[in-house]
Amino acid sequence: MFVYILRRFVNLIPTFFLATMLAWIVVDIAPGDFASQFAFDQVDPNRAERIRQSLGLDQPWYVRYGFWMRNLLTDFSFGISMTSRGEVTDLIVPRMLNSLRLLLPATLLIFIIAIPIGVYSALNKYSVGDRILTVFSLIGLAIPNFFLALIFLAFAVQWYQAFDFFLIPTGGMTSQNYSQLSAWGKLIDSLWHLAAPLIVVAISSLAFITRIMRGEMLEVLGQDYIRTARAKGLAENVVNYKHALRNAILVIVATIGGILPGLIGGAGTVEFVLGWPGITPLLIRSIFAQDVYVIMAILTIITILLMIGNLISDLALALIDPRIRY
Amino acid sequence: MDATPHKEQPTPSPEDTRDVRSASLLSIAWKQFLKHPLARFSLTILAILYTLAAFADFVAPYPERFLNAYATFQPPSSIYLCDDDGNFVRPYTYRMIKSIDMQTFETIWEEDRSQRYPIRFFVRRDNVLDRYVPFPVNLIPPQLRNALGIRPWASLHLFGVDDPTDQVKLHLWGTDDVGGDIFGKVMFGARVSLTVGIIAAFVSVVIGMMMGGIAGYFGGWVDEIIMRLIEALSAIPDLFLLIALSAVFYPLNLPSSTVFLLVVVVLSMIGWGGIARSIRGLVLSMRERDFTYAARALGSSNTRIITRHLLPNTFSFIIVNISLIIPGFIVTESVLSFFGLGIQPPATSWGLMLSTAQSFAGVSGLTERWWIFIPGFFIFISVLTWNLLGDGLRDAFDPKSRR
Repeated sequence: MFVYILRRFVNLIPTFFLATMLAWIVVDIAPGDFASQFAFDQVDPNRAERIRQSLGLDQPWYVRYGFWMRNLLTDFSFGISMTSRGEVTDLIVPRMLNSLRLLLPATLLIFIIAIPIGVYSALNKYSVGDRILTVFSLIGLAIPNFFLALIFLAFAVQWYQAFDFFLIPTGGMTSQNYSQLSAWGKLIDSLWHLAAPLIVVAISSLAFITRIMRGEMLEVLGQDYIRTARAKGLAENVVNYKHALRNAILVIVATIGGILPGLIGGAGTVEFVLGWPGITPLLIRSIFAQDVYVIMAILTIITILLMIGNLISDLALALIDPRIRY
Repeated sequence: MDATPHKEQPTPSPEDTRDVRSASLLSIAWKQFLKHPLARFSLTILAILYTLAAFADFVAPYPERFLNAYATFQPPSSIYLCDDDGNFVRPYTYRMIKSIDMQTFETIWEEDRSQRYPIRFFVRRDNVLDRYVPFPVNLIPPQLRNALGIRPWASLHLFGVDDPTDQVKLHLWGTDDVGGDIFGKVMFGARVSLTVGIIAAFVSVVIGMMMGGIAGYFGGWVDEIIMRLIEALSAIPDLFLLIALSAVFYPLNLPSSTVFLLVVVVLSMIGWGGIARSIRGLVLSMRERDFTYAARALGSSNTRIITRHLLPNTFSFIIVNISLIIPGFIVTESVLSFFGLGIQPPATSWGLMLSTAQSFAGVSGLTERWWIFIPGFFIFISVLTWNLLGDGLRDAFDPKSRR
């Protein structure tokens, strides 16, 4: 097992270098750079060129990639942001934590809700409940995250205009009077702000996992060994939950790594719409400002997180599936 | 032979006669597909949506770039069918007049009931600037059209308000923040939003088939390089890679047709990896199947094996996959345009229209200015119907779920 983990880990290293290099190339082929915005300075026409040289932007991309990678590996430093003039790490870490504050509960919520619903739908195939849930999951799959977030936002404003208090907040992570609240008040305030983005982020992935779980459960229930288990006279519950569910859930565990990118992307649009100070609004701002080091740091951190997510998903699969032994 | 008594043949039932002719994969799938009520329903809805998109110039009362500077955020104009006595008359509408509430400084829209303006069907707006190029011809890119000397000539519209002074505008679904007609923009936006998915899906499938086929068939270091590349691409989250890629062309101020192509390119750059991986798996397994060995033993060349034996076997997979990745691309395009990184004004797409809603959703509720959310409903419907269509196709091609 340890050897397997090590081998998987070593395999990630070339992927990491290739992925960061690809990202660097993509960022580099964008026309212009951070200094371009100073190109039309009437007083000092050479200003853009001077800034370009002082930031090292006149070097070719592979040279800068080399320096950047060396700094990253030796000092864990992502460089200095060109717009805010601060360490990129200081800029990104709080944003990253904010995003995780949204993503981790969402992931948890999705699996806690989706698996029982999927199992229920499969066990009561074509029943009224299954049909209703199927309709809901089809709707959940089709409604874009950002549109749902927009509707939530408009609904919050509508509620405020009608009843003069906020049922759901219109954005942000905390209220304005957050620092004056008691510890419990702070917790409740954060949870209150978390609710709307959490629901919006969870809904589409929830629908997706429910569909997979239902399909997989039906697939397993049609297998010969289920018939054998029934023929042995096992109780229906034992057949369903011990024989079928344990096999069906393997696929869900294997998809954890697969749904993470979608979840991050979905959460990104919700962050953008609902004013959650996460990583995606910062990325978009940096893209427009062509702040290369911030863009690269975000891409790199997310890529690492994603690779770790995939690794965990594979390891979890190896742990719970007795047929997989390394 | 003649001596033998004529034995009555059992008359074949209609089912039997139908099964006498051997059915091809496509005809079986089509029959199965038609038995799927939801899939049939989605096919109809999609056909309607695509027809509207194709004939957007005809259906929309005003051209794509039309802005009614007087009417920003005008609510949908009401259409009346009955006159004051309750008799049915030709549909008519009233002019919308804007005034400002001096207490709250809110804009109030009221109908000017003094004069009725009838709505006529198949009207001509024969203004040189309003002329357009109708459907099959507008598929030719504008540059080529100009070179060929094709000028916009059509002036027929499905409906229009009958007003000789041209002061009264008919906004079926209201207007947006700059006075664009939402109804017309939804129709024109459908062109981008609905076709970007299809074209990007085809491009991804072509790249994916090439890369996956090469990787699976030749194996070795070619396989290793391609798979590493796919792995690295999939290691970066799609949305972030898309945003970074769009930033490449965002500052260039390109014409809208070029931006459209670039969005397609960007989407297919993201989409081909997964398909290539699946195709590679399929090709790998089929290389070891008996029919491939048989073909090789009969002396078939590599090209023949690939084109006549391997690729046709991925056919159903491809069709199903195309229909299942299209809705994802539709959403992704709308997200990009929503962020301001995709289609740029004056061209329009549903995602871009929703970015208006984003700017104003925080200041107004659901009931006021609800019409700016209409494009989102269209995204929802098209994604839903494409999903259902994909499910139907998957079932139709899956021998296990034959009915």
